Amino acid sequence: MLMPKRVKHRKQHRGKMRGKAKGGTTVAFGEYGLQALEASWITSRQIESARIAMTRYMKRGGKVWIKIFPDKPYTAKPLEVRMGSGKGAPEGWVAVVKPGKIMFEIAGVSEEVAREALRLASHKLPIKTKFVKREEIGGEINEG
Amino acid sequence: MAVKLKTDNRDDLRSSVTKELRLAGEVPAIVYGYNVEPKTVAVNSIELLKTVRDEGKNAIISLQVDGKSVDVMLHDYQVDPLKGQLLHADFYVVNMSEEMDVQVPIVLDGEAQGAKDGGVLQQPLYEIAVRAKPNDIPEQITIDVAALEVGDSILVGDLKEGKNYEILEDENTTIVSILVPDEEPEETDAEEEEASEPELVGEKQEDETEEEEK
Repeated sequence: MLMPKRVKHRKQHRGKMRGKAKGGTTVAFGEYGLQALEASWITSRQIESARIAMTRYMKRGGKVWIKIFPDKPYTAKPLEVRMGSGKGAPEGWVAVVKPGKIMFEIAGVSEEVAREALRLASHKLPIKTKFVKREEIGGEINEG
Repeated sequence: MAVKLKTDNRDDLRSSVTKELRLAGEVPAIVYGYNVEPKTVAVNSIELLKTVRDEGKNAIISLQVDGKSVDVMLHDYQVDPLKGQLLHADFYVVNMSEEMDVQVPIVLDGEAQGAKDGGVLQQPLYEIAVRAKPNDIPEQITIDVAALEVGDSILVGDLKEGKNYEILEDENTTIVSILVPDEEPEETDAEEEEASEPELVGEKQEDETEEEEK
């Protein structure tokens, strides 16, 4: 699963997820992509699960790019522990995703295969998503 | 023959006015470039999209600004990533006798033989840098990939240069290649699934020790 190799601090503040994605909003490497329509934390497990769903469906064909990286640690307190006594232990890693971000890209397969692979991947994620194609002004506008 | 496009003057640059413009189906735009002072205008969104779709991204558009006609190219544009709506356009007034550098889309033609045989067609380059006079800029560069076998690739150096334009990209850049399909993705998936848990804990411990050292 994806996680940083080295970090400066073990724990981070949770932060806010206001606004839209600033970058990574266009299909840059592949032909098709999966775009986030909501803001959320995407855990490394969800990313891995989505990747497996896509590659399994595409079998040997095609190439997948993962454009988000879970670089933020999240913590949790053990079960049945009273509140207080400091922050919990690091539990996993998440990527902060805002609306508009292209999370996955696919190339080398037909549109039907890409659509189905990304649909399967979207079911592994906690947010609403949409299928997008490589941007072409005046061409087919990305549809839902 | 350049396509004509009408513009309206846009002097009030307040964001509220710009917002209203967009709601009315117009796109705020700016005209700048050769021998003109930058001027803010507005164009009809649908007409602009139609023009670009029919004539290509690098087409010369004859823009009516202040009753005069200027030859422009769509230099840049902003699109809302969620709605797909055109937000702003930059028109560059071109000097028709001077060469300029533009990005021309690459279009693949035909189905590669290698892809039929189970190979994976990969296209790392979707646009290519070209230098030409505005009238000679190709709308797109079409590459026939039907004869490509597994393991073959087409480099920029393999392209036949047009008479009227010069390709600026490095000759050794790959445009399209047919790769041998991966045999192992399923196995690696299973391995990673099993190995992921202990690795995660191990990484965390490393992080802890690192911090202690500091």
